[in-house]
Amino acid sequence: MTMTMTTSPRYRAARAGGLRRLAATAAALASLAACAGPPRNASGIDFELSARTPRAAGGLDSFTWALYAEPPTLDYTVAFDYPQNMVLSNVCESLMRWTPNLTTEPGLARRASHPNPTTWVYDLREGVRFHNGGTMTADDVVHSLDRQRDPDNAAAWAQVFQNVTDVRKTGALQVTVKLKKPDSQFPQYMASAAGVVASKAGLQAAGKDYGTSGGLACTGPYSLGAWHKGQSLELDRFDGYWGRRAKSAKVVFRFLPDASARTNALLSGEADGSYLIPTESYARLRGSDVGTLYFGEGLSTVNVGITNMRGALGDLRVRRALSLALDRSGFVQVGLGGAGTPTGAPTTRAAWAAASERTRKRAFEGLRPGAPDIARAKALVKEAGATGKTLTVATSSIGQDVSLLATAVQDAGTRIGLDIRLRSIAPNAFTALFTDPGARKGIDMFPLTYYNSITDPLDLLTNFKTGAYLNFAGHSDKKYDALVDRATALDDPRRRLATAAEAQQRAARQLPWIPVAEWPTAVFLNRRITGAPTTISYMYYPWAADVGAAR
Amino acid sequence: MTAVFTRRPGLRGIRAGGSPLHLVCLGLVALIVTAALLAPWLVPHDPNAVDLGGALAGPSPDHPLGVDAAGRDTLSRLLLGARTSLLGPLGVVVFSTLAGVAVGTAAAWRGGWLDSVLSRSTELVFAFPGLLLAILIIAVYGEGLLAPVVALAVAYLPYVSRLTRSLVLAERARPYVSAYQVQGHSGLQICLRHVLPNIAPVVLAQATVNFGYALMDLAGLSFLGLGVPALTPDWGRMVFDGQTAIQHGYPLSAVLPCVLIVAFNVVGERWADRVARRTP
Repeated sequence: MTMTMTTSPRYRAARAGGLRRLAATAAALASLAACAGPPRNASGIDFELSARTPRAAGGLDSFTWALYAEPPTLDYTVAFDYPQNMVLSNVCESLMRWTPNLTTEPGLARRASHPNPTTWVYDLREGVRFHNGGTMTADDVVHSLDRQRDPDNAAAWAQVFQNVTDVRKTGALQVTVKLKKPDSQFPQYMASAAGVVASKAGLQAAGKDYGTSGGLACTGPYSLGAWHKGQSLELDRFDGYWGRRAKSAKVVFRFLPDASARTNALLSGEADGSYLIPTESYARLRGSDVGTLYFGEGLSTVNVGITNMRGALGDLRVRRALSLALDRSGFVQVGLGGAGTPTGAPTTRAAWAAASERTRKRAFEGLRPGAPDIARAKALVKEAGATGKTLTVATSSIGQDVSLLATAVQDAGTRIGLDIRLRSIAPNAFTALFTDPGARKGIDMFPLTYYNSITDPLDLLTNFKTGAYLNFAGHSDKKYDALVDRATALDDPRRRLATAAEAQQRAARQLPWIPVAEWPTAVFLNRRITGAPTTISYMYYPWAADVGAAR
Repeated sequence: MTAVFTRRPGLRGIRAGGSPLHLVCLGLVALIVTAALLAPWLVPHDPNAVDLGGALAGPSPDHPLGVDAAGRDTLSRLLLGARTSLLGPLGVVVFSTLAGVAVGTAAAWRGGWLDSVLSRSTELVFAFPGLLLAILIIAVYGEGLLAPVVALAVAYLPYVSRLTRSLVLAERARPYVSAYQVQGHSGLQICLRHVLPNIAPVVLAQATVNFGYALMDLAGLSFLGLGVPALTPDWGRMVFDGQTAIQHGYPLSAVLPCVLIVAFNVVGERWADRVARRTP
């Protein structure tokens, strides 16, 4: 508290000012009342997914991109969150590449072959240059992948490599990966940050400082430029890039943690564009003539993550009751700014792109949520003998998707006879709910948004297996585990997804998480720039290289 | 007599004098205090009842002040929120005033080493900003209104004790005190029966100013998501929840609590001015 001693001689002047202020206050209140609220059920917006934004017409000297948080490090082995990957995808490339259409194509490997079910052979591109000098060889690939496997590194992607027994150089430009058992997911993850290749010499020279200071010694269209900690980070076009030259000579990422500051930066032109637009700003940005707001496939679902099944939620009837009572449409309308689709399935439809029409139908059959059925839900809770039982939902001010879902769960639970408490978690402590069992103590559920890193529903469905990292509540179903294992072992996508469809139906019945909505990604581009992909491919695809002048 | 009050620099401008602003604020304060007392009988809706389909709807006969971003009735939350929002500062003021007067009087009356010890130790508290102290205590003891109230009371204590000390020092030099001493009255008796009643108006005026500040500090804490539990309606929390409403372009549910908080401040400042005889 700051207080100073004052004896102000200005009270008379203040008195005249008081009248003026009063009039101003009255006028402000009157205008507030006039614009107090939208008509009922109109707070959301109509949204349509765009496959892409218009192609860039020409080059640019520089563009500025708003980012909601500063990456703690840019080391690819621990790049598991939005801010790191959104920057890193332009600097470091992987063996395979995730395209803006969310398909996989060759990246730093020009070919991936699969001579037998437990072997993957990657033939590398010739003449790929690193930012720090030198040309990519098989040694760099082996060293980069070994960093992910090294337990001392505590890599975020270690799980991808759990089936890998050996990564070996089998030619100057060839690397062979041996698996313990057939694993359809491994080759797909080679298009994510799990498959990043950096220069062995560069990694060894940087040592422990890799990712936090100096360059990243990668191959992407941009190299890491000036990093003003706490403020901004710059990327400079890499002229020795093997692929298509980036359209803008420079990209400046500005860190703007406050949602309204970020929106205002976009509206004022301080930032030219941004992904992950705050949902409450959709209408404002869409209504402005500064630029265009696009929506794209996000492969993301919003769920209620169950973290404790030893209490009332251990009874499937209570989980089902909560799912029945939840106002999903209301949440989509308000929490997601109207841009989303209520769902009863844990995965998005787009994750099933490789599936046959029949499989897709089977995967989603009967999973379209209806209107909240309070009476049935109440009866279920009563039947389970859980009426009056206390449950705690974690909430946080991270964003409306979190706070309003917690509020919606609290309301639904209260209506069906449960005693739901909310526990506020500081925004920077919210991530700990995913990683730290201690942080989940005393919490029964929390709003959980999950995005796929590959275009495969198993990426999410694996999380419900017994002992999986994100299976917080220790849910265990042997039949489900067997289904997922069987699907994972199948290389043929059609057969794999047919089995995955059964797993999804089982998960939707058992509700280890309560699915709420599919959530598309949003990107805003002002009138100066265009070309950024609309889909969540920005996590691993060098999207900034496509951004150029709109005219 | 000219009392020297401690005030925040940003609020010097709010010196409403006898202007209509002060009268309006006084009316609002009276209305809110009455409403807070009668809130359980007055609220039209459950303050936590959510209607996502009708979120951010404007004033209507059913919801006279509209609803917030989660579809909760603003009037009900404002009325019930007044109870937590006013009870907290009241606790801060009562505790800091009682303790501050005791410390200040003892220091001034006794003087010497006791004065040095008490004055220096209360000045030590100045080193810790009140809000930081409160955040620290909440971090240790978790959610709840008690921890921040105690922390803020401790932080506010030096302002009262310092004021009291200077007032008692001035009183002590006056002839009537010597007269009582000559008649054989004890120091405690003179302080309680004669000195304190004489300095009371000024101390109470400081307490009123403090009430306004404590209201803002506690609202600030609950704005940060600290202190008040999540489902308890509270003005600070309403302003916080209202941020998204502002982004949507419908700021009513966020602005109303601010107006009430400012009203309390205006009234407090005005009373302080009157006691200090700075207004006509």
